[in-house]
Amino acid sequence: MKSRIICVVAALALTGSLLFAGDNAGSADPKTQKGKLSIWLGYPETAKSYEEAKKLFANKYPGIQVEVLTFELREFEAKLAASLPAGVGPDILALHDFIFPRYYAAGNLADVPKDLAEMAVNPKKIDQVFAKMVMRGGKVYGLPYWTGRSTLFYNKDHLTEAGLSRPPKTVKEYWDYAEKLVKKDAAGNVLRSGVSIRLTGPSGVIQKFGYLYYQMTGEQIFEIGEEIGKVRVTIKDHLDAAGQLLLDHVNHLHGAKKVDDWKVQHDGQAFAGGVTSMFLRETWIIEFTKKNGPNINFGTALMPADKAWGAFNYFEILSVNKASKMGAAAWDFVRTMLEPSICNFVLSDSGYIPLRKDVDYSSVLAVKPHHKAVMEAPASYKLYIEAPNTAYEEMTTRAGEVIQEAFRDAGLVGNLEGCKKVMMKVQDTAAAILKDNGILTAGK
Amino acid sequence: MRSALSKTRLELTVSQWKKKHYFWILAALGPVLALFFVIRIYPIVQTVVISFFRYHMTNPVRPFVGLDNYQRLLEDAAFQAAFINTIEFTAITVLITLSLSFFIALLLQSIERHSAFFEIIFYIPVVTPWVPASVIWKWIYDPSYGILNFFLGLFGVPKQAWLQEPGIVLLAIVGVSVWKMLGYFLVVFGVGLKGIPSSYLEAAEIDGARPAQRLAYIIVPLMKPIIVFCVVMSTIIFFNVFAPVYVLTSSAQGAPAYELKVMVSEIFMNAFTFYRMGYAGAMSVVLLGFVMLLVVLQFALFRDKEE
Repeated sequence: MKSRIICVVAALALTGSLLFAGDNAGSADPKTQKGKLSIWLGYPETAKSYEEAKKLFANKYPGIQVEVLTFELREFEAKLAASLPAGVGPDILALHDFIFPRYYAAGNLADVPKDLAEMAVNPKKIDQVFAKMVMRGGKVYGLPYWTGRSTLFYNKDHLTEAGLSRPPKTVKEYWDYAEKLVKKDAAGNVLRSGVSIRLTGPSGVIQKFGYLYYQMTGEQIFEIGEEIGKVRVTIKDHLDAAGQLLLDHVNHLHGAKKVDDWKVQHDGQAFAGGVTSMFLRETWIIEFTKKNGPNINFGTALMPADKAWGAFNYFEILSVNKASKMGAAAWDFVRTMLEPSICNFVLSDSGYIPLRKDVDYSSVLAVKPHHKAVMEAPASYKLYIEAPNTAYEEMTTRAGEVIQEAFRDAGLVGNLEGCKKVMMKVQDTAAAILKDNGILTAGK
Repeated sequence: MRSALSKTRLELTVSQWKKKHYFWILAALGPVLALFFVIRIYPIVQTVVISFFRYHMTNPVRPFVGLDNYQRLLEDAAFQAAFINTIEFTAITVLITLSLSFFIALLLQSIERHSAFFEIIFYIPVVTPWVPASVIWKWIYDPSYGILNFFLGLFGVPKQAWLQEPGIVLLAIVGVSVWKMLGYFLVVFGVGLKGIPSSYLEAAEIDGARPAQRLAYIIVPLMKPIIVFCVVMSTIIFFNVFAPVYVLTSSAQGAPAYELKVMVSEIFMNAFTFYRMGYAGAMSVVLLGFVMLLVVLQFALFRDKEE
């Protein structure tokens, strides 16, 4: 009797395990899997690379449909903020570094498979400046994918016209060049800006202001505090340089040295339209200018140096929603995105720089000299990224508003002490918001 | 006895009918009331509730903070600027829109045969959605290529940075809002004017009343209910201004604008950019309370005058 019971149990166990194994094998076989993977993007200019990856992915997963939806960046952020904490949202997450910490801190991200986690921490494959930002407590939460890198854009024809043979190499030269390049009418109205300064959109204002702040101080306005997630405001530590930088801006927005004006066109459209000679922006402007200003003869250069020399990077991170029911397939799509052919496509189509280091980009760079100038920087050119910050939008908006208002204040021309006071207000505004969110630290 | 019986029967029928009647009322209004509760009452109640919490959209911990959010409003320079801008914007826009639409409605009365055609022309912006209308105006106001500067330039007026200069951006938005809503109030005033018996005006004319006197002593008093309606409606509409401010003044590629703060844009920013839902809730409650107060004051003011 006993042996009969054992036989029955063994038979049941064997049948069960076979059934279970069979089921597993069925679901693990990509060819037989069915379903839909969704991806939301806040940078629509990268959508084509996802469409390209879909073709490769379809070879492996013919039964899985991939839906790529693009949104305006702020709308994308709002949709994510509403959906991920509620356990819904897209399967594959393409998160920019500003918002990434919010979701790993809230536990909304799926565990990264071992092979991809190893790729992220391998300095030969991914620059560790970026990898550090996707980790917490030694655990990897996503794969750094592409970066937008601050770059100096200049109109070659305007420089030649002004007798300038090369782009500015230092911050001082940058302002001197702007004075030589600006075009004004008899009444002193700016017709073509020497440099297009970011004057509005407070978070953008402080970010672009911060590009030169880094060169002049060797630190960002907002640095990582005692640990990732905590933030230190550095203005107080570099008050002279910060005040000088604001002074440089207001001196060049009012009076005789004026090189830019609110009344003229700005930013990428101004550059593509030939109504500004230089500006600091990220690499996506390369493709933007080619599309919107095909006749503009422009060049790219490394950021002008001062005390420090480096480039700001904002980057996108690929991850998977913890609530996704197709986690394995979603990670396979991430693997597809990291294929060399797709990385090359990202570079050639969107202008963003893929962060996979062990891929050969020479064929793209051979025909894209603008990218080559930015990507092939010397070792002394430091790449830096923003401190992860859960209060990023509020902090940069409110602190940026202070700088934005100061730009309009002609009373600050030649007034270094006044500029220092404004910069202390920026410090206090940002610190108060960080403190309110419990992420302010005083020391390093 | 028989009559008492028939009376009881009648009462029973009436009561049954009443019961059925209530059933049909409930059946007809129930879904509408339920929908009204879900999409109107519940969000308002919920907004009031979350205004007492530190409610961050991405943070699952949402502690009760009492009146902290309201106290913070008193120290928030951005909110105060938005509040003042909104009052200023509403006052100017209501005044211009209603004066202009009343004046045009009076003019159209005098060309009765063609007034419908002009009413349609003025009404077209009303049916145009705010966003595309604002995008069109963004181009009209463009300092370099805008048609407005081009047109003014023909008369020697120098180029103006309509959306870039803090001093004039509010007026630029007033312009768009007046253009957008003029037709609506024009039609309302037109209907009101058509309701005034022509015999009153004819009698006054025979008695020697001048046009201004007829306006002051006959038309305006008879139009008072319509005017009250228009003042209340326009105050509510313009106090909630958002789309034109958002579209016209948000900085965009090539066209940096001056970001004008108004109440609803501050609420939007705190709720959907900073995800401070509790704080945005407190702002919404203040906005609701203030608009309700204004409406009550307007009604009281007009009633006093009537008395």
